[in-house]
Amino acid sequence: MTNSINEIENAEVILVSGSNTTEAHPQVARRMLAAVDRGARLIVIDPRRTRLAECAHLHLALRPGTDIPLLNAMMRVLLDEGLADDLFIEMRTENFLALRDMLNRLDLEATAALTGVELSLIRQAAQLYGRARKAVICYCLGVTQHVCGTENVQTIANLAMLAGHIEKEDTGVDPLRGQNNVQGACDMGALPNMLPSYQGVANEDFREKFERAWGASLPEAPGLTLVEMTHGGAQGPIRGMFIMGENPMLSDPTLGKVEETLRGLDFLAVSDIFLTETAQLAQVVFPAACFAEKSGSFTNSERRVQMVRQAVPPPGECRADSEIIMALSGRLGYPMEYETSAEVMEEIALLSPIYGGMYHDRLERGWGLQWPCWDRDHPGTPFLHKYYFTRGRGHFMPASHTPPGELPDPEYPLLLMTGRMYHQYHTGTMTRKSERLSRECDHAVLQINPEDAKTLGLRQGETVRLLSRRGEITLAASITGQVACGMVYTTFHFHEAPINQLTNDAFDTGSRCPEYKVCAVRVEKIVDS
Amino acid sequence: MVHTAATDSHLLKKDHLKGFLRKLAKEYRLVAPVRNRHGDVLFTVIDDLDAAEIELSEPPQNSLKQFFLPQQEQLSTYTVTPEGYDFHPVQATIPPTIYFGVHPCDLSAVLYMDVVFSRRQRDPFYLRRRHGSVLIGVNCNSPSPNCFCNATGSGPFLEMGSDLQLTDLGDRFLVETGRAPGQALIERWQGFFSPSADKDRAAHYQAFLEARGRFSRQVHVEQAIRQLEADTVEEKIWQELSLRCQDCGGCAYLCPTCTCFTISDQRLDAASGRRLRSWDACTFAGFTAMAGDHNPVQAKTAAIRQRFTHKLRDDVRLNGRPSCVGCGRCVSICFGGTDIVRFVERVCQGSL
Repeated sequence: MTNSINEIENAEVILVSGSNTTEAHPQVARRMLAAVDRGARLIVIDPRRTRLAECAHLHLALRPGTDIPLLNAMMRVLLDEGLADDLFIEMRTENFLALRDMLNRLDLEATAALTGVELSLIRQAAQLYGRARKAVICYCLGVTQHVCGTENVQTIANLAMLAGHIEKEDTGVDPLRGQNNVQGACDMGALPNMLPSYQGVANEDFREKFERAWGASLPEAPGLTLVEMTHGGAQGPIRGMFIMGENPMLSDPTLGKVEETLRGLDFLAVSDIFLTETAQLAQVVFPAACFAEKSGSFTNSERRVQMVRQAVPPPGECRADSEIIMALSGRLGYPMEYETSAEVMEEIALLSPIYGGMYHDRLERGWGLQWPCWDRDHPGTPFLHKYYFTRGRGHFMPASHTPPGELPDPEYPLLLMTGRMYHQYHTGTMTRKSERLSRECDHAVLQINPEDAKTLGLRQGETVRLLSRRGEITLAASITGQVACGMVYTTFHFHEAPINQLTNDAFDTGSRCPEYKVCAVRVEKIVDS
Repeated sequence: MVHTAATDSHLLKKDHLKGFLRKLAKEYRLVAPVRNRHGDVLFTVIDDLDAAEIELSEPPQNSLKQFFLPQQEQLSTYTVTPEGYDFHPVQATIPPTIYFGVHPCDLSAVLYMDVVFSRRQRDPFYLRRRHGSVLIGVNCNSPSPNCFCNATGSGPFLEMGSDLQLTDLGDRFLVETGRAPGQALIERWQGFFSPSADKDRAAHYQAFLEARGRFSRQVHVEQAIRQLEADTVEEKIWQELSLRCQDCGGCAYLCPTCTCFTISDQRLDAASGRRLRSWDACTFAGFTAMAGDHNPVQAKTAAIRQRFTHKLRDDVRLNGRPSCVGCGRCVSICFGGTDIVRFVERVCQGSL
């Protein structure tokens, strides 16, 4: 996020795209609703009529996968109506002409028709966003989990720069991260091409710095991305894996391939707090300590590094992830002897410039620090890109429509979107252990429009068969106007209905993120024989 | 429980408070609002009186509910027999406890829970925790921004209900004796107390007047009660607020008078298990869900209806007063802006 979460509350216009915020990020949604109470306008771009969409002033129910044309149309309106921020474009950006030329060639009517959203609604949204003094865009996986995820994000950046809605307090572009520490994992180099603090492995100076500190030589070539690893096949190049706190046997697309790959390994070790579907395939399972059983820090969506303190000792033989890594590393001949997590933090501060001033004694006071925090005296950074972008000038990257990897056809006539629900979290390894959460919802449901349900002759709650070219599952139908005709929606939380057996493994060539949001399916009524 | 009018009053110098509590702690478990090392004020069992920073001017984040109705409580254990199940009651010894520094809102809440758990059916699990407890209240001189006990008739000063009732008069407390256990404490430790004079009682009255002027909110609870009784609350108000309820249950869990619970059996192994009672909330869809996913309460349009009609209409009918005590906890925790103050304000707007 370029902003802090609290800043959302002060925005005049909030544009939410591809985020079911009330269910997936309730703490963020609470700020959005507070802003609405203070007079802010809320625009929601989502194919489904989510709760947030019902609370919105404008709901743009686009066809899945048409984010780029929709945002391009909005930008064209900004240009046509003189709402572009010329001074900002002049002072802070580059490559504007390429964007302008692309937008001017756009046939607005046809573009709107492609998205399925009324042009008048697109126009209103553009006007609201363009005229605001303070406006934020919040987006989530509905934007990124497409074959054109990278271009979708670049187009959002184009829109924000065109309107000059960045580099100010209460104004910016805010991707919402889905886990307590996914930001921290990226910051610490859990990316195939990055060392900690986004220092690229391809850069010799960065490599040398880490080689000196660690007394080891580092590879210069980037590693593999997640799907490359989990979809390599039984004879894939990777022969051994150590998987920590991740359950690809439920969370990755085309599960059949994942299973084939993991079973084909020479050796698999898994560290998790419960025996997940993935851990069941492992030769060695390390019982890990959970968040309440260890000390250290998490980095959240707003780049805030916060302390987590051990509340209870880990049960049985469980150990903190760091202890498991250190013990393993020692056996592999590279001793790591950090006595406390504070000592690890000192090394992070030493090697990661954006964490340069973060030490446990500082983090323990108050609510932590937001990066970049360059040195001990630096107060942290509530919002990014003040005065200049990290790379200097913001580069407009014009993009045009890329259709999803698979669209409905006569054989598989419905479009399937996948996502999350409020009462379960990811593959349910933790939430499904809670009786109260299970009481709210303990099984997968397939949202289907009343018209489609009528055509198929379905009753509310009826168990149906859902098929794609890759597999089939059964689950309960939930007949609701939340999804439009021709679309169905479900979640990936339940191992009894593993939806990722059906999803497509088409992925974004830039980010390697799979297209969980669009694939073609068929719903069949189950007839008793 | 018979209430006696608080006619008798004494003085306790603040310097002597710790000495008095030390005497009490010899015979009772002591619970009081304590500021922890993270700066939060919570009702806490005090083991070391000298280390505890007792905080009386800031409302604690938790209420006393958890001490009488724990978030989760084991009611019995069971073993599987060829015929079925054998249940074995769990013996719990609850030490006699003094709850010190209880604000009027939280005190009123305990009195309400007493009614809920003993009027029709006596709840042995609640009563065994409540039995032998002594409530020492402190009148509230500094309402917080979300407080509105003045509108629910449960503060900022309380005239009856506690065993001892303290009022902060600067360097000393005026101590009113309420019920018999309080009187007994004063008699037992009379060395700590001196008689109050007219000027002390005048100062007490003055403090009451000033406290009433310190509320930052004017919440017209009475109006909402009247409209609920007359059934004139517009349907769209329920729908608007229910749509925004984010279903976290925070209001019910923090509420000192929300007493709904559920009972579940937890299997420990093939031959045994335990029966638990835990907090529940009427805002959860699962609270009213029926077999086959049918639900008489549509979450999107009516999630909060039971909560507010119960507190502001049904309990008024039953007890003559609302069971909202105006502590404001739900106001500060609510994710969606659908708390009781928002409801009352919305109802009042609707009647303009």
